[in-house]
Amino acid sequence: MQKISIILFFFIFLNSSFAQEKLVVGTYDSFSADWGPGPIIEEKFEEICNCDLQFISTSQAGTLNNEIFLNGKDVILGVEMHEFNYSIEDWHEYDHGFFSFIYDSSKLTNPPKTFEELVNREDLKIVVQDPRTSPVGIGLLRWMKSIFKDDFSIKLKQLDQNIITYSPGWSEAYGIFLEGNADLVLSYSTSPFYHQEYENEYKYKSLNFTEGHLATREIVYVREESMNQKLAKKFIDFIIEDEIQKIISSMNIMYPSVDKTELVPEKMKNLIKPKEIDYKVFLESEPLIETWLETIAG
Amino acid sequence: MKLGLRLLQANIKDLIPIGVFFLVLAAVVLPVFGLVYYYNFSFTLNFSNYYFTIIFFTIFQSFASAFFSIVIGSVFALLLIRHRHHKTIKLIVNFLSILFVLPTILSVFGILTFYGQYFSIYGIIGILLGHTILNTPLITRIIFQSLNDISSNEYMLAKQMSLDKLGIFFAIEWPIIKKNIPSLFVIVFFICFVSFTPVLILGGSPKYSTLEVAIYYSVIFNNDFDAALNLLLIQLSICLFIYAAFFKNFKSSNFIIDEQRNFYENKKRGFSFYFEIIFIILISIFIFSPICFIILNGFNKELINIFSSSYLWHAINNTFVICFFSGTISVFVALNYLNLIYRKKYFTEILIYSLIIFSPVVMAVGYYILLFKISLFDIPNILIVIVLNAIFSLPFTYNFLAPSYFKVTHENEDISKSINMYGLQRFLIIDFPRLKVPIITAFSVSSILSASDLVIISFFGTNSLSTLTQTIYRLMGSYRMDEAYSVSLILLMFCICYFGASYVFMKGKLWNTH
Repeated sequence: MQKISIILFFFIFLNSSFAQEKLVVGTYDSFSADWGPGPIIEEKFEEICNCDLQFISTSQAGTLNNEIFLNGKDVILGVEMHEFNYSIEDWHEYDHGFFSFIYDSSKLTNPPKTFEELVNREDLKIVVQDPRTSPVGIGLLRWMKSIFKDDFSIKLKQLDQNIITYSPGWSEAYGIFLEGNADLVLSYSTSPFYHQEYENEYKYKSLNFTEGHLATREIVYVREESMNQKLAKKFIDFIIEDEIQKIISSMNIMYPSVDKTELVPEKMKNLIKPKEIDYKVFLESEPLIETWLETIAG
Repeated sequence: MKLGLRLLQANIKDLIPIGVFFLVLAAVVLPVFGLVYYYNFSFTLNFSNYYFTIIFFTIFQSFASAFFSIVIGSVFALLLIRHRHHKTIKLIVNFLSILFVLPTILSVFGILTFYGQYFSIYGIIGILLGHTILNTPLITRIIFQSLNDISSNEYMLAKQMSLDKLGIFFAIEWPIIKKNIPSLFVIVFFICFVSFTPVLILGGSPKYSTLEVAIYYSVIFNNDFDAALNLLLIQLSICLFIYAAFFKNFKSSNFIIDEQRNFYENKKRGFSFYFEIIFIILISIFIFSPICFIILNGFNKELINIFSSSYLWHAINNTFVICFFSGTISVFVALNYLNLIYRKKYFTEILIYSLIIFSPVVMAVGYYILLFKISLFDIPNILIVIVLNAIFSLPFTYNFLAPSYFKVTHENEDISKSINMYGLQRFLIIDFPRLKVPIITAFSVSSILSASDLVIISFFGTNSLSTLTQTIYRLMGSYRMDEAYSVSLILLMFCICYFGASYVFMKGKLWNTH
């Protein structure tokens, strides 16, 4: 019993240690993980700021904007542009990419060239994310709405014939695809970069639609409630410095925020950068999800 | 009121169990209260057709899944108990509990990989198949344990009466299984009712969904707690209605060896030995497909590298601490609760079982509000993770303990009266030695259940406080599928070692009070 209480106290103390000025950055898992850009950024920033940078992450996609997650954070890193409240003053885009479908070129030899073709094909097994549980899933709806406009729901219904499942998140969908259970997976056009850079595997490719692809941008911002405004702003300036942009691009598998060729990793330069669709007015997610539900499940 | 009076009359020795009861009650009610208080909840019954469709579908699939799981689980448990002395069978039995606690996503991947090649799996069939594979191990393990409690005297008696296998089944085994069915049915029904990942992936379309998905969407994306609470309330009412309609007269406490049972002889020849073995192999293949998947994928080139990474050892360390303490708390609470139910008939099991229906997402948010918004208490995150996991694993801890607890306590009633020994002393000296195996099993299962949790840890975990299961998901979320499979293999090893260590510890002299 004594031993147990000693162990317990030990862990309580471990978790309540404090240091100098602290900057708490809320982000998502894959950014702050040991293998993500987080630890390197932490190290580099702490060298210059004389502070303690702490990442607190969430693994539930979408929680970044949730009131309950924001509590106690100075900076939020990783909000998708659609979910961002633009009335906030201090923010900056730190990377961007394009929604796209990924396929295995050793198996699929005649990939569709247009979204229209994809929708009409009958030989493909596609896995996408459920828009109710995944931001990537909502991305697909916005992308299709922008391309097909009034035909949105008809095309949804057509595409649904080829969709084997709507997975809860990106990870599950990508896993199903890598396991060989699907021909196409909804992801980002830069996804093949990961396999090339870290696995030396070149068979995964991104579809390139002539209609264009929807861009997604990730934003870092200072919370107005933060007591560390100055330090937080310094962090945001730091994030968009060239050196850090390079790190983010190659480790977060996205394009840097500004289109400077020298910041893009070598192998990413070789990927086809899709044409960006014309997307001026933000589409709200809820009506799109409602239409989706009515069309598919109604 | 009546309950209050009775509580006042309770003895001092009841204080701990009753205290525990109120703790469980508070654990359920407080977060809901926090949500209602913070978000000005108002009850509305505003339902689209879609919700009606999925409610009906959910009731149907939960019933069907529970039915299939129980049929296959009972048959499997019966076959296993007949050959329980064989080494391979012992191994299978020990693996059953591990199966139940593997991260759902891996089990689902296993199912897709093994069965997806043979037929179009997505849809109702996929959901039923998935839920059956996921829940059968739990059923088998619990029924096996109850059957294992049958004293050898009964079997000897049956032999003396020259009963054949079928005769023994109807005279001895079936009554035991029958009494386990209601509570198991409730558990599996509830699990399937709130199923999330399996339903989303294997359902293949929003046509086949659960209210839980809608709750998740309201909480995480819409910040709409009003809608979430309403859905939760509907979910609860349906489940409680089904409980009240079908099961309110059943309690695990009915589980008392019936001395008046009639033996009758049956001349029919039972299953032949080989037939049984073939069946055992078939069902094993069916439910062990997820483990095969992990083993096949886990051995890859990343496995070696992972052992030298720092995140693995942190995760193992955290997982162990969370497992150990939440398992201990869970067993402690369950034992006290059982004690209360055994002696005071007006306490009911439904409070424990309803914990399954309380959507973890909603509960986690509720606690988050209590802790950080209302600042009701200030405790370190690891304690929150431990306590919440202990609470959420209670239904399973309870179910693993209940049948043996009621049987043993009932049988020891006369002895303890005759030597005038009650309370804790009685428990430690008379009941405990016979309950060691179920207690250790319940402890291991609830521990490992905490290891497989993803919701609570993602709300209250920090970068330095992540578990193996969370690491698996994080790796998957960063394209690192091979590493994720390797960590899954390590998690599997962890579970095996944990179970092994628990049993070794239990068999040690330290615990032998007799």
